[in-house]
Amino acid sequence: MNEKMKRGIIIALVAGFVTLLFGGWAVSVAGAIAGMGLGFFLGGKNTEKTIAAAIKAALGPIAVSAGLILVISLLDDLVVATAIGKTPNDPLTMIEVNLVAIISFFAFACLLTATSTLSEKKQRNAQIILLIFVIISFPFVDNFTGLRWTPQIIFALIFTILALGLNIVVGFAGLLDLGYAAFFAIGAYTTGILSSPQHGIFLNFWLVIWIAAAVAGTFGLILGAPTLPLRGDYLAIVTLGFGEIVPVLFKNLIKVTIQEPFTCWIIPAITKLFGASSSLACITFIKDVDLTAGEKGINPIGRPWLPFIGEFQSDNPIPWYFLIIAIILMSVFIIRRLRDSRLGRAWMAVREDELAASQMGIDPVRTKLLAFAMGAMFSGFAGAFYGAYIRAIFPSVFDFSVSIIVLCMVILGGLGNINGVIVGGLVIMSADRLFLPALKDFLAGLLKNTILPALAGNPTLKAAVEQNANPILYRFLLFGLTLVIMMAVRPQGLIPSAQRKAELVGDENEPTEPLTATEG
Amino acid sequence: MGKANNLKIRNVLITIVVIYIVLLIGPIAGFDIPNIYAQVAANPLQLVQFLIIGLANGAILSIIALGYTMVYGIIELVNFAHGDVYMIGVFTSLTVLSLTGTLDAKDPGRIILGLIFALVISIAVGAGLNAFIERVAYRRLRNSSRLAALISAIGVSFILENIGLIWAGQTWLVPLFGTTGGASQKSFPDLLGKIMAGYGLNVNLLANTGIKLTFNIKDALVLVLAAVMMTGLRLFVQNTKTGKAMRAVAQNRDASKMLGIDIDNVISTTFAIGGGLAGAAGLMAGLYNNTAWWFMGFRVGLESFTAAVLGGIGNITGGMLGGFLIGLLASFSDGYLNARWTHAWVFVILVLVLLFRPSGLLGEHVGEKA
Repeated sequence: MNEKMKRGIIIALVAGFVTLLFGGWAVSVAGAIAGMGLGFFLGGKNTEKTIAAAIKAALGPIAVSAGLILVISLLDDLVVATAIGKTPNDPLTMIEVNLVAIISFFAFACLLTATSTLSEKKQRNAQIILLIFVIISFPFVDNFTGLRWTPQIIFALIFTILALGLNIVVGFAGLLDLGYAAFFAIGAYTTGILSSPQHGIFLNFWLVIWIAAAVAGTFGLILGAPTLPLRGDYLAIVTLGFGEIVPVLFKNLIKVTIQEPFTCWIIPAITKLFGASSSLACITFIKDVDLTAGEKGINPIGRPWLPFIGEFQSDNPIPWYFLIIAIILMSVFIIRRLRDSRLGRAWMAVREDELAASQMGIDPVRTKLLAFAMGAMFSGFAGAFYGAYIRAIFPSVFDFSVSIIVLCMVILGGLGNINGVIVGGLVIMSADRLFLPALKDFLAGLLKNTILPALAGNPTLKAAVEQNANPILYRFLLFGLTLVIMMAVRPQGLIPSAQRKAELVGDENEPTEPLTATEG
Repeated sequence: MGKANNLKIRNVLITIVVIYIVLLIGPIAGFDIPNIYAQVAANPLQLVQFLIIGLANGAILSIIALGYTMVYGIIELVNFAHGDVYMIGVFTSLTVLSLTGTLDAKDPGRIILGLIFALVISIAVGAGLNAFIERVAYRRLRNSSRLAALISAIGVSFILENIGLIWAGQTWLVPLFGTTGGASQKSFPDLLGKIMAGYGLNVNLLANTGIKLTFNIKDALVLVLAAVMMTGLRLFVQNTKTGKAMRAVAQNRDASKMLGIDIDNVISTTFAIGGGLAGAAGLMAGLYNNTAWWFMGFRVGLESFTAAVLGGIGNITGGMLGGFLIGLLASFSDGYLNARWTHAWVFVILVLVLLFRPSGLLGEHVGEKA
């Protein structure tokens, strides 16, 4: 079996898996996306001269995977739907969704295959146009098909911004930051404090998002300044500590009193020691201020408002979707420019060899500090958006696992590679937010209708199966395995950047000296 | 000379500013000196009580810190999963105690036997698990960057936490877990109290002495066990052939290899010893704190890592010292500041130690050793 056929079958199986999990119109959406994926792979390697020849060469894999998708989809409607207790599609809808799936699969696959006859630049443009089309049409298609994926995709995109920001710190500058969620929390809480009736301050979202980014960036500087001289693994632990302290702070800043120590107790205590009484007035800056409302969190938080659209509402995800897309586009633009700028090259130089870089006139501390601040800034954006979108923030949302999930995305996608990080973010978050819940429902249905009745004779086994067949319980396992397997098999990530790959893959000729690129 | 003087003045100024800031904003996190003074003055005996609690908790932390410090000493890896090996130790011992019927036993002799059996099993499980982790997740990364190994360790930590979460939901295996699901905290029965009651003794060893302090049997047991294990480890590392090989590999891996030491074997042994200590600490902590929770390894792991760094990472005596110090700090913070802030204060200590004395209290100055 050749490479193209193998890819086609893998893509078809993934699409079939999505169909099985979600049912209904999912097959059409999955078919269209699978068509694009397959066309992208086939088109990239094609060297045929004419469109007809290109399509003819690719027709085999396309037809096989289309057939596979169709078979799985029919299987879903005819067998699986009954087994998991879902009402199967009525015949008319069944024909409709499968027809749309197959037609869009063929159309996109052939279209993208055909682009391979164009020049390289034109092919790239065609792919970008298609991507823009997909991004713009996605929420409308989602709305029309009733799949309701958009809210989850918005979450995935929020985390993608976080991953892009963390990529500056870990990927570009080579500093392992395990407390990245802290900056996310700082961004979200800044938004909450500045635009919630709880504090009587109500600033506009479009202003607050910049303030949140600036505050998060400033905290990046404050944290970075004392800690950056530390070695790589120590730095990681200290940032982890910072990431642990920040939620504790937000949880406990409910009765904040700040008093000047000398006037309030040091001098009175000394004068009392000598038997005199002090006449100093105690300087109190703030007394018993409730800053974060503790576990209850800040609720509600102000929302963005635009002319024609009005205030963004929670039941209509489309404006939010386009807002987050806009933030991502802006972030990607800024990060690309940063990467290619003098500063970006300095980051990579410091990552590769700090000593050599400082000899070339780069100030390593300043360079690393800016990486920290820039990375923190982007999570400030994400935090502000998150606060406004969810409307309520709690300290427990920003715990250590968030930092690690974001790290997972960066590592899965490819350290230092912007496109890779976006892909990693989308894969991890849609696995976490879309597929695990869908798999949970799927398994719950399967258990209830098929497996548990069969186990009725053995109550212990039945209880055990019922307890453990919940994929959401296993999400940490998923992230942990991602990290361990990626580090063991492919440390450079799925879509690596060339420089990072050379650095992270172990060098057999140097058995004892660890590569020191990430150490201060 | 002038430059050195300037630096000194600058350091003094920075220290003064830092102290002032701590005095200014410390009260937010419970560091309120007048308040603490008032508490100590009102009940000085309480200080001794917190000291006892701190020492017992510190003994558990010390034993876990030894695992961090030994592994770091030999391959310079922060074994992030170590705290979770301890958590697995807690669940192993609880499960063994449940399966052997010790939890429901009335006869004190039977309970003692069950506890000894559980201790052996949790040591074995901890040792095997840690050596297995090394083999699967760290060995092939030994020659790549330190970042890669640390990331792999974090991944292992997540996997173990998830195993703990699933384990705590298996009511069919351990009926004690109840029906609240794996995410909730489980209680670890107070078996020591049961033993003492079985023999008709008071749990508080100081009950009949007239001293108004509690020094429970569990405090005594934890301290005695910790002392035995630490002495044993020290003798092992100083006197046995394997112990000498471990020290040799920690000093220079290449030279040890040339002298015919099986590096892989020595590193596996180190991991196994660390894991065995963590497993034992699991049973001790279960008996001492009477809880089992899938997430407990994370916090305790970080506290004992702090202890290892405070004592001087790589230094076994330092690890023990650091453990006791962190235990005391946590106990005083719980008692006089506020339990909610203890976690944050431990981290403040960690950051301060790393910034101002990265070699720790007892560690030799390693400088920027790569």
